[in-house]
Amino acid sequence: MGTDELKQVIKEYIINEFLPGEQPESVTDDLPLISGGILDSIATLKLVLFIENRFGIVLEAHEADRENMDTLNQIAATVESKIK
Amino acid sequence: MTIPTTIASASQEKLGNLSAIRLRHFLLISIQLGLLLVLLRQFQIESGAFLRLAALAFGGFAIYAWLPLRFRLLFFVLLSLAGIMVVMGLANGAWLVGISLLLIGICHIKISFVFRGILLVFVVAILAAQRATLLPFPWSEAIWPILGSMFMFRLIVYFYDLRHDKVPGTATQALAYFFMLPNACFPLFPVVDYKEFRRCYFDDDAYPVYQVGIDWMVRGVIHLILYRVIYYYFTMAPSEVANPAALINYLVSNFLLYLRVSGLFHLIVGMLYLFGFRLPETHNRYLLAASFTDFWRRINIYWKDFMQKIFYYPAVFKLRKLGATKALVIATLYVFVMTWFLHAYQWFWLRGSVLFVAQDILFWAILGILVVLNSLYEIKHGRARTITAKQRTTKDFVISILKTYATFWFICVLWSFWTAETIGEWMSLWGALGGELSWAILTWPAIILGVVIIGSIPKDTLRNVRISAQQDQEWTRARVFTVISMVALIIISIEGIATRIDPSVATVVHSLRSGKLSRLDQAKLEKGYYENLLSVDRFNSQLWEVYTKKPANWLDVDNANLKRFVGGFVQMELIPSFISDTKYGVISINRWGMRDADYTMKPAPETFRAVVLGASSVMGWGVGDGETFEALVEERLNREQPAATFAKYEFLNFGVPGYQPPQQLMAFEKAMTFQPHAVIYVATGRELSRSAAYIAEVVKKRIEIPFAELQGLVQKAGITADMEEADMIKKLMPYYKELLSFVYGSIARRTRAIGATPVWVFLPQVTDGIWREETPDVVEIAETSGFVLINLDDIYQGRDISTLRLAEWDDHPNPAGHRLVAARLYDELVVRRDQVFKAVKMDSTQ
Repeated sequence: MGTDELKQVIKEYIINEFLPGEQPESVTDDLPLISGGILDSIATLKLVLFIENRFGIVLEAHEADRENMDTLNQIAATVESKIK
Repeated sequence: MTIPTTIASASQEKLGNLSAIRLRHFLLISIQLGLLLVLLRQFQIESGAFLRLAALAFGGFAIYAWLPLRFRLLFFVLLSLAGIMVVMGLANGAWLVGISLLLIGICHIKISFVFRGILLVFVVAILAAQRATLLPFPWSEAIWPILGSMFMFRLIVYFYDLRHDKVPGTATQALAYFFMLPNACFPLFPVVDYKEFRRCYFDDDAYPVYQVGIDWMVRGVIHLILYRVIYYYFTMAPSEVANPAALINYLVSNFLLYLRVSGLFHLIVGMLYLFGFRLPETHNRYLLAASFTDFWRRINIYWKDFMQKIFYYPAVFKLRKLGATKALVIATLYVFVMTWFLHAYQWFWLRGSVLFVAQDILFWAILGILVVLNSLYEIKHGRARTITAKQRTTKDFVISILKTYATFWFICVLWSFWTAETIGEWMSLWGALGGELSWAILTWPAIILGVVIIGSIPKDTLRNVRISAQQDQEWTRARVFTVISMVALIIISIEGIATRIDPSVATVVHSLRSGKLSRLDQAKLEKGYYENLLSVDRFNSQLWEVYTKKPANWLDVDNANLKRFVGGFVQMELIPSFISDTKYGVISINRWGMRDADYTMKPAPETFRAVVLGASSVMGWGVGDGETFEALVEERLNREQPAATFAKYEFLNFGVPGYQPPQQLMAFEKAMTFQPHAVIYVATGRELSRSAAYIAEVVKKRIEIPFAELQGLVQKAGITADMEEADMIKKLMPYYKELLSFVYGSIARRTRAIGATPVWVFLPQVTDGIWREETPDVVEIAETSGFVLINLDDIYQGRDISTLRLAEWDDHPNPAGHRLVAARLYDELVVRRDQVFKAVKMDSTQ
């Protein structure tokens, strides 16, 4: 799966679960999700479980932070580093 | 709206560009910093030490802003170290830095993480034993709160990040993190995340970052001024809550005292913005939380993030095999247990004692359960999130307001439970619901509703966006608000201008311009002379700050062992024929139990004799024999002979530390056996409430009251030994004046009955407080009772009280204070010579 496709899958999940009704173009690759208050601890946990199930990887507790999961770009990079 | 972007890993070159500032912008920032410094000075924000630190920070900024990026962090570290030295002094500062380097150094020893952890725990255990004074330490106690605030949580975060970071930080970053410039002044400090601290460094254009720093500092000052309004004018003691309106005021004002924390955190983080650290917001409109989970997310965000990182995620990730819901419930409860524990841990490092209070446990347990229930609801039904402001239906708008309004009141009630000194005291509050209804009951609900409605107007909800990505209009609006706020506050703080508006406005502004103790805390400070200082409760931060300055070996009057228990209504008296050599000089107690020279029971012929009743100020705590104002007046009367009708003057000191007005009745009985020509009763303030508190105390202790009138009063009030003290005081409140009238009336009447003159002197504590709430009533009662009045209420006005009292935490007059009182009292007595001396002379010659 390519990076764009990966981002698209995660983006769709985020919009469906946390931002229903929001225009897809509003959710850019650099939109701050954690620091912007969109992903709180519950949402982050749900997203982590989704990613783990969808991509067959395991994320660590210390990776669920702003450095690794604040934007779609960061999430994609974190997931890709695990897949590789 | 432009969707903001973030910088994940900006290059040095990009950082260099972002950190640069144009001269025009620099001048704009500098002008605002100048205004802010004036504002901090005008309102005496926090302390003189903070003003010095702010001057250092703002001056340092002028250099910092022009330094090449590679030197800036090092400069920040040097400036922070200078801040520590400025606030703590060289010796204490050196100790603080030395211990800090030891702790940081241990984190980097080239051994396994486990051994490093064990070594850290060992060293911290030694420090804890020293903090608890189980082991000696060569440095001043003053460094503990600051050392504690630097390391108690940040060391945990640092060690955690060291364990997990892919790219470890540099030594300069570590030093900058622990020694953060504002920390030297603030024991209560936000738990800044180490990774975030490094990540956010100049991750946006410098100018807007600096500007937001100023905005936040101004917001912090506004919070602190609002806090003072609440602290000075709205806070109440539980015993004063007598009706529903008072109960609502108590609940709201108690919660709003939190403005101090949010104000300080804005000041702290705002100052860090000046050095390029674009940290997340610390509080997000916490008064507008729409649920318990929302409240937890909005109030003290850094704490929530710290708990999430160190406890919540590790627990929930470990437990995820149990299923998301179970994992979330267990992890959330675990977070709240740890929050309670870490508050007790924080208390230990800041105050040096272990905190174990039932309300703390219950508060965190209740909040934890509510947050879990709320979280379960959110998992099932989701939570509305938006990126941009959206039109809402009227129904949605009303529901949002109602949820916010209900949450606010629920939090107020929960907060009052948390901050109550005892559960019984909290329970007693609710008796006020049966009190008299008045329109005042609607005041706070209406204000809060207004705030909630305004705060619920839809707006962009995305937080912590890069400032450079904000719209120009929004940016300009924020700047205008900041500058106008600063200028308006500075203007109103100028005494001449406030006086022109209205004298009452000037009085209020004057009180808001300094961080004094409120009337309740001032009363507690005075009460603290005679009781265990632990009566300073957990949320009494300003009073605690006064006490932190007090040396551990400071001798209080109550610990000087000058008194003995004698039982009965009076309970205690000075030990007869006892000499104590205190650091203030010798205190000699004569064979009759007076802190005075020896006197015969009967005055010699042609001798004018006065007995002086009072508490520690009269006895002369803080001065040596012969230096009390009573002794000085006596000496001067004998030297100058103002009445010219007596050969000799004798003033007998019946002052006993801690005596309350009803106890003076017993002292008076004893004094009357010495056949005085005048009885001088010295009142030092709060005579009404202190009388009631003493009656409550004796009833609680089941001590027999030897006065039928007082027994009747106890019966009328309906107080019994099994009641909470707050309830007893509340029931006695309607009889305050009657109670003191009995005390004063008895003394004045019996004095006149033997032909002597009763003189009542009001002598305030040596304090810069403005609180004299009981004085007018007390003066009136004294006058009605038939005393000759001498009101010294203004004796310390316009003087530097620090030169007249023992210490900030001990408001007794020092030798200079006693000399001042003696001089004024002498003059006042001479003015009234016809009343005080002449009549007695006639009587004594009969």
